[in-house]
Amino acid sequence: MLDSILLVDDENLFHLVFEDACSLLDISLNLMAINSAEAAEDYFVKLLEEDKPKPDCIFVDLNIIGSSFDGIELCRRINFVHGDGVVIGIISSSNDENEQAKAVKAGAQFWIIKSDEIEPRLEEFIKDLDGYKERTAPFRVYK
Amino acid sequence: MISLDDAVKDELIKLASEKHVFLEGNISKCIRTEPNTKFEKYINQCILEDKDKCKKRLNITKKIQEQNRELVDWKDHNQKLNAKLQSALEISEKAKQIAENDLDILQKKTQNELVGSIVKVALWIICGVGVITSTLFAVTLLTGIDNKTVESSWSNMFSILLTNSFSIVGTIMGVKYAGGKNRAKCDNCKKY
Repeated sequence: MLDSILLVDDENLFHLVFEDACSLLDISLNLMAINSAEAAEDYFVKLLEEDKPKPDCIFVDLNIIGSSFDGIELCRRINFVHGDGVVIGIISSSNDENEQAKAVKAGAQFWIIKSDEIEPRLEEFIKDLDGYKERTAPFRVYK
Repeated sequence: MISLDDAVKDELIKLASEKHVFLEGNISKCIRTEPNTKFEKYINQCILEDKDKCKKRLNITKKIQEQNRELVDWKDHNQKLNAKLQSALEISEKAKQIAENDLDILQKKTQNELVGSIVKVALWIICGVGVITSTLFAVTLLTGIDNKTVESSWSNMFSILLTNSFSIVGTIMGVKYAGGKNRAKCDNCKKY
């Protein structure tokens, strides 16, 4: 089980769905949900500055409405600007291969297709989590 | 993991059995339990109860999410329809304006044609009466018949005819001027 997860998604209802799904599947003890890319970046920077533990895994929405940059850019900043070693991936309703290629370049390790049935995908994801932590698992799309 | 003393464990178990109140949330996953004890059963019960509630909440949230999505789709659909209706309304307004202009021009044209016909007929009558009275007067002059009555009638008739013809010519000019002005206005309307 993960200690903490950070979810960055503009849709507040999805925060609830994701939190309950994680709780049901015993994925995480703590879920922090943020609804803008800027706030997520600030939160991450603050954690680093205060030397607090980083989240074990970050799920980022592709199009974060109301933010000045998208989820792929947030992935890139967290991976290459603010730190490394965090498991990070995209959670989106899109299955666009071009976007997925961009996400890989930005350091995303997985892509979960967002839908009503999120639990089976999260179950699959949790099986690969150790590989993502060790950076040995290849990029995977959970459909 | 958190360890609780026996008194607290007993109180929690008592609370659950008497009032059906259980620990909620992930806190129950962080409490240390010894295997095959009453308290382990209690904690497992807490986790089960919590998962049950979680499942119910998840189903409801998903339904709300779906309804929200439908509402957003409907909103988009309505906005598109409204835009289409608006553009159709604008087109029909323009068409109406053009039709009204055309109708106005047509009415004016008909009116002008009618006035023209009336004037033509009136001019023919004036000329005819002039020619007839002049011929009659000429005949009386040539034949030497007494022409006092014809002479006065001819001069009266001629002055009346002249006055009338000028008035008719004036009317024609006025009508033509007004028609021309309106047509220019209509042409301007079309341009803008």
